[in-house]
Amino acid sequence: MDGRSFKREIARRVFAFELNKATHKIESGDRAVQVLLPTGVSCNRVFIVGVLLDREETRPDSDFWKVRISDPTGVFRGFVGRFQPDALESLLKIEPPEIVAVVAKIRLFEGDTTTVVTIRPEVIIPVEREVRDYWVIETAKHTLERINRMRKGGNELVELAWQVYEPDLDYYEEKVKEAVRTLLDQHAMVESETEARESEEPEEVSEEEEKAKAEESEVESWEGEEELEGVEDIESVEREEDWELEDIDEFEFEEEEWDLRDILGE
Amino acid sequence: MGRIEELTEEVVRLFKNSGYEVDRRDVYNRLKLLIEEFKVPEDEAMRTVKNYLMKELDVSREQLIMESPLVKVADIKAPGQWVSLKAKVVQLWDSSSPNVSQVGLIGDETGIIKFVIWAKANKPQVEEGKCYLFANVVTDSFGGRMQVNVNRNSRIEEIDEDIQLPPKELEIVGALIAIQQNSGLIKRCKLCNRVLTKGVCPIHGQTESYDDLRVKGVIDDGENYYEVILNEENVRDLTGIGLEEAKEIAMENLDRTAVLSELKNRLLGRYYRLRGMRGQRYLLVSEIEFLKADVRKEGEEILGG
Repeated sequence: MDGRSFKREIARRVFAFELNKATHKIESGDRAVQVLLPTGVSCNRVFIVGVLLDREETRPDSDFWKVRISDPTGVFRGFVGRFQPDALESLLKIEPPEIVAVVAKIRLFEGDTTTVVTIRPEVIIPVEREVRDYWVIETAKHTLERINRMRKGGNELVELAWQVYEPDLDYYEEKVKEAVRTLLDQHAMVESETEARESEEPEEVSEEEEKAKAEESEVESWEGEEELEGVEDIESVEREEDWELEDIDEFEFEEEEWDLRDILGE
Repeated sequence: MGRIEELTEEVVRLFKNSGYEVDRRDVYNRLKLLIEEFKVPEDEAMRTVKNYLMKELDVSREQLIMESPLVKVADIKAPGQWVSLKAKVVQLWDSSSPNVSQVGLIGDETGIIKFVIWAKANKPQVEEGKCYLFANVVTDSFGGRMQVNVNRNSRIEEIDEDIQLPPKELEIVGALIAIQQNSGLIKRCKLCNRVLTKGVCPIHGQTESYDDLRVKGVIDDGENYYEVILNEENVRDLTGIGLEEAKEIAMENLDRTAVLSELKNRLLGRYYRLRGMRGQRYLLVSEIEFLKADVRKEGEEILGG
């Protein structure tokens, strides 16, 4: 280790529609590569709770899986391979569709005509519906906060985001609120279902709606698919980068040196 | 005193504070020549003379900064900065290196940070519990943590102020996004309670051990992250798996790591509300529960706002 700082990257809360719009990379010597979000913060890791729609092995027996995870606003696309053994192990046990929590690194693939955002899950684990619900709320709050900061302006990344993306903030705000509305509608439906116990398969409807919505936004946001397929030897590119990153995450300092139980009166 | 004398005085004082004697006559003559004869603006003249002296004495610009800006512990984020801070000595550690005069922790109301006083700095000793002004110290990063180093250009002055340390207890809401190694059903050394790695204690080698259950993980709220340690009680409260149950799981599967897999499945990716005591690196959790949120109410607030 070369004495640089091993500060862990924060896991941002960001909806698929926003993440998929990101195209700008920020590289600085002492930090892992960051992606600039259209709402003006840098992002290297995300925490997502959404529906795993499918998993597909890129080539037979390659142990390299393409995944699609949906939230109320769109679809996150990503890859899970041997270099994320934990994520791979649990992914193979999951039968989609299933609600999953995902901690992932962000990758940008720059093709000739488009730039594509993908995620690289480190953790992927089935969770309860309540966790997904709260994630939508939390992500909405965080996104609205970022939108407000964009409106105020002032900091360097915010200015850069204006330059790079010129985001239509009203549209962003509307998308966020729409996600919350979808959630509350589903809630109302589930609640009335449990009360009446005879409405016609409302949960099915809501899941399908969600899927349909996801497919729809997919068309908008995924012109990059062809490009991505074209990226030569995507696995080997990933491999090198991951060695480095994994080393950093696994790095552990001797805890005893820092353990302050005694002064904290434990 | 004329203007040139004033400026001369300023230059002499600057170098004196950093421990260097300069020839007053020489400084005066140089300034006079530049300002009166050549009509160079004052600030340019000053800069020229200072640069000349720095080169002569082989001093860097940083070493000359009279008083580095006063900052709080929480502001220290990058290595290589010259700063001053008012802080209380929280704890002194035994120094193993002859190059180090004192090492330990200092803190103010915003945080706690490691400090090192180099032997070469030749400073008086500080005492635990007393407050000092640490002027002109250099920030540094070691093993991923920030620290401040006291060198011979630094100044330590005891101050008559009682500096408060950060609240030791804090409450956070966030998601558990990672469970680190040495979690689950672990073995500890009977002599020192340290966690054994591959059956070996880092201090006592191969020793007698006992089982324990804990989770070392990372709680992330999207703005900050906290490294937390959940003890057996915390784990049992959340999952119903205590030490005995964990041993059973390990026996049934003939594999101690089965406990860790089970805990990961039950704990990762969920939201928690927790309280804990802050240490230098870890938050030692006292209470933790799965977050119970009123999604409807919070959602309506977002739509209404």
